[in-house]
Amino acid sequence: MVAVLPLLLYPALGLGMFSMIGNFAEQPRTVVVLGEKHLPSPPLLDGERFVANWFMNPDDASKLMVVTDTAVELGGGGSNASRNLQLIKQAQELRKLVEQHTSLEDEFKQLKAALAEQQPDLSVTPAESPVAMQQRMQQLKEHLAAIDHELTNLFAASQIQVLIVIPDHLRENIERVNRLIVERKTKDLTDFTYPRPKIVKNRADDKSVVAYNRVREVLDAWESEILRQRLSALGLPKELPNPVGSAPLDLAAEAQISASFWSKMFPALLVIMAVTGAFYPAVDVAAGEKERGTMETLLVCPATRAEIVLGKFFTVMCFSMSTALLNLLSIGATGKYMLSNPVTGHGMPAQSGGITLPSVAAWAWLLVLLIPLSALFSALCLALATFARSSKEGQYYLTPLLMVSIGMTVFCMSPGIEIYPVHQASWFYSVIPVVNIALLLKALLLDPSSTGAWIFAGPVLATSIGYSLLALWWAIEQFSSEGVLFRDGERFEPGLWIKHLLCDKEPTPTFTEAGFCFVLIMLAQFGTMKTFGQTITSVSQDQMGVQMLKVLVISQISVIACPAVLMALILTTSLRQSLRLRWPDWRFLGAAVVLPLVLYPLVVELVASLTWFFPPLSEGAVRVIKSMSDGNQPLWLIVVAFAVAPAICEELAFRGFILTGFCRNGRTRLAIILSALTFGVMHMIPQQVFTTTLVGIVLGLIAVRSRSLIPGVVFHFLFNSMSIVRERVSTHLAAGHAEEFQRSVWSSFATLEVGGLRYTWLTLALCSTGSSAMLWWIWQTGRTKGNAEAVNPLFAGGLAPATQHPTCAS
Amino acid sequence: MISVQQITKGFDDLRRGRVAALDQVSFEVRPGEIFGLLGPNGAGKTTCLRILSTVLRPSSGTATISGFDVVKQPTEVRKRIGFMSSNTGIYDRMTAWEMAEYYGRLYGLPEDVLQSRLERLFETLQMNDFRDTLGAKMSTGMKQKASIARAIVHDPPVIIFDEPTSGLDVLVARKVLATVQSLKDQGKCIIFSTHIMREVEKLCDRIAIIHKGAILAMGALSDLQQQYHQPDTEELFFDLIERHEQQTRTTQTEFRLAAS
Repeated sequence: MVAVLPLLLYPALGLGMFSMIGNFAEQPRTVVVLGEKHLPSPPLLDGERFVANWFMNPDDASKLMVVTDTAVELGGGGSNASRNLQLIKQAQELRKLVEQHTSLEDEFKQLKAALAEQQPDLSVTPAESPVAMQQRMQQLKEHLAAIDHELTNLFAASQIQVLIVIPDHLRENIERVNRLIVERKTKDLTDFTYPRPKIVKNRADDKSVVAYNRVREVLDAWESEILRQRLSALGLPKELPNPVGSAPLDLAAEAQISASFWSKMFPALLVIMAVTGAFYPAVDVAAGEKERGTMETLLVCPATRAEIVLGKFFTVMCFSMSTALLNLLSIGATGKYMLSNPVTGHGMPAQSGGITLPSVAAWAWLLVLLIPLSALFSALCLALATFARSSKEGQYYLTPLLMVSIGMTVFCMSPGIEIYPVHQASWFYSVIPVVNIALLLKALLLDPSSTGAWIFAGPVLATSIGYSLLALWWAIEQFSSEGVLFRDGERFEPGLWIKHLLCDKEPTPTFTEAGFCFVLIMLAQFGTMKTFGQTITSVSQDQMGVQMLKVLVISQISVIACPAVLMALILTTSLRQSLRLRWPDWRFLGAAVVLPLVLYPLVVELVASLTWFFPPLSEGAVRVIKSMSDGNQPLWLIVVAFAVAPAICEELAFRGFILTGFCRNGRTRLAIILSALTFGVMHMIPQQVFTTTLVGIVLGLIAVRSRSLIPGVVFHFLFNSMSIVRERVSTHLAAGHAEEFQRSVWSSFATLEVGGLRYTWLTLALCSTGSSAMLWWIWQTGRTKGNAEAVNPLFAGGLAPATQHPTCAS
Repeated sequence: MISVQQITKGFDDLRRGRVAALDQVSFEVRPGEIFGLLGPNGAGKTTCLRILSTVLRPSSGTATISGFDVVKQPTEVRKRIGFMSSNTGIYDRMTAWEMAEYYGRLYGLPEDVLQSRLERLFETLQMNDFRDTLGAKMSTGMKQKASIARAIVHDPPVIIFDEPTSGLDVLVARKVLATVQSLKDQGKCIIFSTHIMREVEKLCDRIAIIHKGAILAMGALSDLQQQYHQPDTEELFFDLIERHEQQTRTTQTEFRLAAS
């Protein structure tokens, strides 16, 4: 069924579209023309239609039905006579209001102009004071609004999509002006101020918009014909109104048009189909097995958990890939058939002869890229489905997964988003999961032989396979966790749950609580973004730097430290243990003082050597960073905002609450990496995410080994201070001390360049030796102690029935 | 064959806080013996047997099967046990034969051994009339037989039955019990959990009475009856449980008095 459905679906959809197009064509829109007899020549109307010549596509004439007052007065309209009469009546009522509206608007405009010149226009409102004029304007405004309201209601109630009001004597006026022009007697512009036609439409109504666009097309064509007549009467060339007359030359070959069409369509479809194709089988083989009671049967067989997951994974992947391929094949074939059909494909990219399917090379690429894509989604779906208690619960997880994937593909489909942006060499997109594959495919479908895209194939495939393996590992983890496999189908009772959280507290946070803390920090960051932004922009330009620094400190405390400390207070019994508030071994303090000094140059150089990888910062962000760190701000505030506050707040949250919680499942290394990742992600800007994750690993290691927060705070403070020092020294040297610096001993350690101080190979060699030695020492020291802390048996507080909990004695 | 030492298993429960599903449970089972775990629903029987089948890990304590540790060598353990419980369902989309064959392959039996073993198994369990019936279309009795066939297809030395007769009518239950008996006669080491006294009386060589995660008494049924001066199994069971309940109540009161 999974296979047959797409094969039938798209042809069926195509057939549906075919008949829809047919039906749409038979619904003309109503246009009412009042004052037909005042229309100038050449003829605009032809009975109940516009003259077909005025349309770009003469067939369109049938899509507008014209009702004129002249025809109705003559008793025309045949079977529709009564309806037409009704329409004309409505139109005339509308006309009255429109005329009222026009005159009021004119008066309003005059008053406004007069007021702007600060001198009452004597001809209109003699001896009126500006105050009185303003009052009058207010009145007019209200009057206009009332008329507009009435007009809108009346128009909506009528069956008219577009109303054209031709003013009296339009033909005479135009002929008069024409004559004057021929006789060269036009003195000033007043000769041209005669009443002009009005077109009434409603932009909020789709039918009216469609009809108006057609009417506009007709009127424009018609008007240029009138202009042409005027020109020929003058003996002037027809080309007079177009002194430039630029004409496009479209170079797109037919194959390219097809390629561009497919390159927009296929990546998105491939992603969506790979998700949906993976999802339902995954739910069936994981949650479904729990539901049908065969999960335990499988678990007692000698296959390892990893083997079982792999078996399920390949099954799911098979479904995912075949669904995606079958859908693409079917949609490709249907699309080609539909678009090359002269009736349905009308106006589509390739009017001449239809479009071609992607080449064999493109299909091959599609197949190659589908493998990691399907693998990633299969593993993700499998992990989610294993987590679900029942297939029903499993289905709920589809929507978020699908929304994220659709979001990503919409991003990829938007024009200008390419895997290799032309102006900025950035490899950033090629490491984002899903996006990288979609973008590479987009480029390859456009031109399968483009070497530009080929370069990216390596990293895209490598990272995608990496992500798939990670997801697979997660799925195996899920499958090995008895808490997940034997999750009870218990009713969710918020009251009980909260009571459990608050009463059955443990000394340290759980894994889930730590994860939730991170989510809370991210949400708080998102939620306060606007407020903080407003606070910054509320002060004057020169105050902005200081204001920003202050906001930075406040946001560190409120958004990062507060959630962690509050959660530790509410959800755990020991603030000291949860936040690692204990005095460390002095040797770790020593390490925390020296390590940042040797690690900092390495990080600077690493970031500098990776600039090609990251998308450049937006100009706004650069300006903000500059204005915060330039020499105009007080040094103490910079130190507090950039070094003291982050050192304390971020350590409390990430090495305190979050790392302690992650350590609870007994896997210290995983906990350090996870906490470093959360720490990195919190910084949001790609460059910062990268460096902070690296530094986060070091900080996590120090925190775990020293079992204290304090060395981390010291390290963090010094590390951030180093960047302030570097900034200051660079500015100082750049301001006329460069020569002096070059002569000094320091020049063998660092050189002054445009972006600031850069370190020499000598420094880097010294630093890398020093930091590796120290990291090795930290890694080795306190290892047993660290593990003893990390292994936390299920009953940290001892075995005790709930009734013996003093806090919950009920 | 089966050796359980001081096993403890705890769960987090929203209603009751941290619950000890098993508390310091120890026992041993020898080959050619049927060991009965007798206890009311929720006593911890299933948890204990799941730990033995390596599906759950104990919070503390060790258990070995044929000398293999259930935590450290789970794959070796699984190769040597047959496990059947009310939770080990059969696949709806497989026939009885396919299911047993599939599991035989999972256990790595050579194809010719597997086929002859299956023929014999289907013969002795009298399953030949529904060997090609899909799981979805089997009656409860058929399903139970298919489950047993699946559990013993690899001829394991240790067989674990977790309430194998629950939900069966008398006729089918009798047949299942007869199968268990015949397996014992083949010299298998069998552990059998139930809450039905009659089954224990009929089958088991030794029993352990388990309640709220703790073993209250253990030994041959006749010995227990003598020890507690209670010739009726049912009365013996209630006596023990009642006594245990009273004990915990006193400790709890003492604890509360001490706390307040």
